[in-house]
Amino acid sequence: MILRNTYKPGEWINRKKLINFTFEGEAFTAFEGDTVTSALWAAGQKVLGRSFKYHRPRGVLSLANHDVNILMTDGLDTNIRGDVVEVKDGMTLHAVNTIGGVKKDKNSYVDSISPLLPVGFYYKAFHTPRKLFPFWESMIRKAAGLGVVNFDYPRILKRKRHSHCDLLIIGAGPTGLTAAYEAAKAGLEVTIVDENSHIGGSLSYDYGGNGTLAEQLTELTKKIESLKNITLCTGAYAAGYYPDHLIPIVEAGGITKIRAKAVIVASGAFEQPLVFRYNDLPSVMLGSAAQRLIYRYGVKPCNNGIVFTANDYGYRVALDLLEAGTKVLAIVDLRSGAHGGLHAIEIVKHGVKIYAGHCVYEALATSDKLKLRGAIICAYDDKNSVALTDNKFTIECDGIAMSAGWAPAGALLYQAGTGMQFDYGVQQFVPNRLPDGIFAAGKVNGIFELDQRIRDGARAANDVLNYLGKTSEKSIAEKHNGAAPSHAYPMVPHPKGKNFVDFDEDIQIKDFENAAKEGFDNIELMKRFTTVGMGPSQGKHSNMNAIRILAKIRGLPVEKIGTTTSRPFFHPTPMGHLGGRGFHPHRLTALHDWHEAHGAIFTDVGAWKRAAYYPQVGQTKEEAIQSEALAVRKTAGIIDASSFGKVEVHGTDAAEFLERIFTGKYINQKVGSCRYVMLLDESGVVVDDGIASRLANDFFYLSIGTSNAAAVYREMQRCQQMWQLDIGLVNVTGAFGSINIAGPAARDILAQITELDLSAEAFPISHVRESTVAGVQARLIRVAFVSDMSFELHIPMIQAPQVWSALVEAGKKCHCRPFGIDAQRLLRLEMGHFMPGVDTDGLTNPLEIGAEWAIKMDKAYFIGQRSLSILSKRPLRKQLVAFMLAPDFNGEMPLECNLVIDGTEIKGRVTSISYSKFIDRIIGFAYVAPAKNGIGSNFNIRTDNGSLVSATVVETPFFKNKKEA
Amino acid sequence: MNGIRPLSEFIFGGEYRLTPDQNTSSDAEWAAYVHNRQGAPGDKKEWWYHSPSGTWFIAERNTLTDKVTRTYLLADAKKVAKESK
Amino acid sequence: MPFRLLKYAFKKEHPAPRFFKSHETPKKSYDVVIIGGGGHGLAAAYYLAKDHGITNVAVLEKGYIGGGNTGRNTTIVRSNYLTPEGVNFYDASVKIYEGLSEELDLNLFYSTRGHFTLAHTESAIRTMRWRAEVNKHVGVESRVVGPDEIAKACPQLDLSCSGQAPILGALFHAPGSVARHDGVAWGYARGADSYGAEIYQNTEVLSIDVKNCKVCGVKTNKGYIETKQVLSAVAGFTPRITEMVGLETPIVIHPLQACVTEPMKPWLDTILVSGSLHVYVSQSSRGELVMGSSLDPYEVHSTRSTLDFVEGLTSHILDMFPFLSNVKVVRQWAGMADMTPDFAPIMGKTPIEGFYLDAGWGTWGFKATPISGKTMAETIANDRAPDLIHTFRLSRFEDYELTGEKGAASVGH
Repeated sequence: MILRNTYKPGEWINRKKLINFTFEGEAFTAFEGDTVTSALWAAGQKVLGRSFKYHRPRGVLSLANHDVNILMTDGLDTNIRGDVVEVKDGMTLHAVNTIGGVKKDKNSYVDSISPLLPVGFYYKAFHTPRKLFPFWESMIRKAAGLGVVNFDYPRILKRKRHSHCDLLIIGAGPTGLTAAYEAAKAGLEVTIVDENSHIGGSLSYDYGGNGTLAEQLTELTKKIESLKNITLCTGAYAAGYYPDHLIPIVEAGGITKIRAKAVIVASGAFEQPLVFRYNDLPSVMLGSAAQRLIYRYGVKPCNNGIVFTANDYGYRVALDLLEAGTKVLAIVDLRSGAHGGLHAIEIVKHGVKIYAGHCVYEALATSDKLKLRGAIICAYDDKNSVALTDNKFTIECDGIAMSAGWAPAGALLYQAGTGMQFDYGVQQFVPNRLPDGIFAAGKVNGIFELDQRIRDGARAANDVLNYLGKTSEKSIAEKHNGAAPSHAYPMVPHPKGKNFVDFDEDIQIKDFENAAKEGFDNIELMKRFTTVGMGPSQGKHSNMNAIRILAKIRGLPVEKIGTTTSRPFFHPTPMGHLGGRGFHPHRLTALHDWHEAHGAIFTDVGAWKRAAYYPQVGQTKEEAIQSEALAVRKTAGIIDASSFGKVEVHGTDAAEFLERIFTGKYINQKVGSCRYVMLLDESGVVVDDGIASRLANDFFYLSIGTSNAAAVYREMQRCQQMWQLDIGLVNVTGAFGSINIAGPAARDILAQITELDLSAEAFPISHVRESTVAGVQARLIRVAFVSDMSFELHIPMIQAPQVWSALVEAGKKCHCRPFGIDAQRLLRLEMGHFMPGVDTDGLTNPLEIGAEWAIKMDKAYFIGQRSLSILSKRPLRKQLVAFMLAPDFNGEMPLECNLVIDGTEIKGRVTSISYSKFIDRIIGFAYVAPAKNGIGSNFNIRTDNGSLVSATVVETPFFKNKKEA
Repeated sequence: MNGIRPLSEFIFGGEYRLTPDQNTSSDAEWAAYVHNRQGAPGDKKEWWYHSPSGTWFIAERNTLTDKVTRTYLLADAKKVAKESK
Repeated sequence: MPFRLLKYAFKKEHPAPRFFKSHETPKKSYDVVIIGGGGHGLAAAYYLAKDHGITNVAVLEKGYIGGGNTGRNTTIVRSNYLTPEGVNFYDASVKIYEGLSEELDLNLFYSTRGHFTLAHTESAIRTMRWRAEVNKHVGVESRVVGPDEIAKACPQLDLSCSGQAPILGALFHAPGSVARHDGVAWGYARGADSYGAEIYQNTEVLSIDVKNCKVCGVKTNKGYIETKQVLSAVAGFTPRITEMVGLETPIVIHPLQACVTEPMKPWLDTILVSGSLHVYVSQSSRGELVMGSSLDPYEVHSTRSTLDFVEGLTSHILDMFPFLSNVKVVRQWAGMADMTPDFAPIMGKTPIEGFYLDAGWGTWGFKATPISGKTMAETIANDRAPDLIHTFRLSRFEDYELTGEKGAASVGH
């Protein structure tokens, strides 16, 4: 730890605890609390990463997650941000995106051919001849990307929390802490978050040589800790602003979604680099980065340093460097004249030479191109922004700290819809129109002097109290005092370029000039063409300079250029945090355990898990389905139909309600009988169907399809709101279980467990009865969906297992067996019943499926009636028919959705098809041309492999056909 | 009506529109009613459904700013209209 | 390295000229005014000039070119639609795209990766067979494939989707591609400009002058322009324009969101879509995963982002690729989508003479950019829509002849 200084109060490291880790195969020691970067820098390691495009060596730039110079992999995880990730014992780290290590990266040749790769070069080459593009593309893809993803990385499920507070403060620097204290003192519940592992913000590093400021932070901390209504979250960043003051706070452990009555954004500002040739060499760093190294981690940034500044902040940095023991060789100030105030006087006392009106024209690299060895200094014409190179000279040094100014960390303000304007007094965008409940304070508000920031924090707290109606004390807003904290144009042009603006994307000044020459001269187009700000740090260190450069190119004031749109996230946010625990809700019937115990294979129907079939030992799926279906035809079978939608309609207008909702007639329906219901949408398309059982004059019990049940019920509720009929609707889908017993033996089996007279005379088809089955109160419905002899039992869901077991027991003698929905599909097909959603699609009207019988146009109104009257005047486009394949057919089996082909034209498609063992034919439904729908007509189905299979239109049900056959 | 609830509890039901008389409207007028919508942004009356309570209600919302100014049951629409006069 | 790049290394001055000229004030009149400087509008300007010799054309863009949905989509190009009309239309687009980089002399990174629509249910498999059979019939390579073939193309995919929604198969569509969306707009802009069309950025149409059901001019923030033909190519804003001419349409606006991760070394070579999980994902040539989901469930004329969207999407992405847990999402954004009842565009003539509509693009306008430009140019030049877009005419709603694309949307169970 050759650059480690002695202990200073307030530092973030614990010198008592040593950490051992390796970087690029070499062993290092760090202190607990060190980040990967601070530990390596302390050890004298300067080349910590390689750049994205040119593979240039990179070291510390911001030490604050405002750049991605330093990205690591530990073998499992990748793109680890060395600047802010704490180093842990046993870590084995490597830089990402290198071949052969960070010092000997074989891809560094790209830097030397960079003139061949002008801005947007990939738009200009590789595409002709067309045949070669895949080759070039594969080369480009190999070069692209940063870290390598480890496919063995585990799925991590992070918790999510919800939280509310009166005031959320973003940023725990002096401004935010003061605001928190003042607001909490007045009684507000305050949450304050800061992305750093410790609070303090700039009060933890920006001392300007005055170490007593650390004590000021201690005082402030004590005050905060004395108030119980302040919740302090460190290591937590506000990831974005979403409508209604919803702000997700991201911590290592997960996300907390905070809704606050008011928000103070006190997130500070990002320091911006000075742009000069080779400003990206390792050891050229932002002034604030140098300060962070010094005070947070006790690390000396360099031994012999230069401060290159374009504002007064550089003078503070110089004093801090001196404090750290760095020999400061010079302050190079872009501005002419005397600057820096008292700090400058102090610095001169230390014998540091100040070069006003000068620039670092170029940083010089060591022969291995890996390190800084000096800087070429020359005069600078600040008015015209040009270097005057006549009397340039070189200073040997191993570090350059740069201070050019700031860009507000205003992402959340922008996302919340804040109007920002450019303030020339501070050379920065500042808020001028804040949305309700959003406040800004401190540097993000254009206030830079420490005492002013503290007052601004208190002012913002008072604004919040006013907003929440807790006080009416007037707030006094101040303006920034003194020189502009930011320089208007901190760029040093150089004919050979390599003066970087965006370090993520290796973008230099000439890239902007050339983009503008090609017409990409507004900020959004320029961003897209140059990719400035599109890297992982999202323009934190580059957007402001890009705007300034474009303003200069166009000869416009900065505010005319504007900014690009700010989008979440403030920092890139892991998918494991965002995704959290995935919820996949399923609904299970009360009989689910029974099905599972009896080997059922399940399938998803809407939200429900339903038994598809029950394969017996050695049975294939197809065999299982056929034997289940055959049991229903020969003896009996039972199916769990509990997922059906079930709705009760009560009230004197119940029949009227049904008449309006469905296509049929219900006014004259007899109590104890059942009728078919079909629901259309307003455009006449079939939505769903089912059965209405009239249990009393003023009481209908509806059973409808599974998948649509919730939506259909919702639609009924809406209609009722409009119609205001005298009815009540109850959705009993989850309250009732439903079991269907079907087949010739169904009556006998059921008779064993009910007192009800099941004879055809007493309980004919399409009727409903209420009775006790296996001791359970049940509604029994005789529907002919899968068989002419079938009874649907509707019983309370929790008692379904009791009834089911009784039926299984009673049916044992005649080999009654359970069947799943696959057999049900086949059975209803044999019966000739179409199914909405299977045999219809999102455009099918009832006329196309031959359902005229279900449509009563002579009613006053039903949903879709008027559209149907229009449709009935138009020629049919297709028609659903039942078909059979030839008895001796043994070719390739057509499948559902194979097409009906006539010559070169598509006429329709198969919607249902199955072999029926009972009928011993392949049967199905298909859409055909209306001209070809007559019984006995033939049409062709094209199979997957392209062969044409002839099918014959037949009558339904298919049984009769069998008898005739 | 229900206080402030998370958006995930609500289902959008489209714009609230008056149904023309199906007996007097022409085929073209009916087709326009079925298919066409007022798509331009502005203040709109909309159907919204609150799933947990099973309540349909009308929300007056600006589709540009996504700000809801009023919610009420359809049955109360006349009362609301009167109050705002 | 290609020789074409050498000139950049050896010329002192940057040797590339402006993509398109910068004009200040529009002329008094134009033969055709195109509203909307996205891919569609610029392509229409290009083909008006190239195919029909109509060059007295102004393209009016209220922001910057390509700044609407052209620059906000997830850049997928495909033609695996459900109806023959849809497949033919999009296939014609794919065909133009394949040669477009050469035609426009701009590398659009048109990259054919193959496109898998994953099926997690039997009913999804059925719908995919429907699409595959229609595609095959029209001569487009799509077929239903099993899990083995999916695993071969994307071995990293968890075929069980973390046990939540096992993948039973997929519709594989060989021509499925991605392209640089911005480049498409810029390339057409340069092409149109080179023929003499004028592109005006920051130029907003305030009203459209219609007399006796005929277009006669447009009022803009840069003055009044006389014209007899106006094309509205402003998907996401269409209702605002149609309102200006008093035209009713079925279009409503829903936001569509997307997001992108930080770059990682490319590993995902195909384009994956899962209807059940509401996810589509591909990896760009920069190494970012570009991810999208279904539409926002209600109407808003805004490009705001929501947290719900990115939470739901990433959760489903992790079902498919559990190892991405610590890969970070860098940015999310949104666009506004013109939605129609049958999920198909509205193209062609309108009851107002001289007012043409290129709208209703839902979530899929990017892939149609070349063919919509070409067919709209033809419609304007001949005042008659070509057969290829007959199925997309506005009057289909009055005729109850909605396109069959709606069919698949409601086939569930």
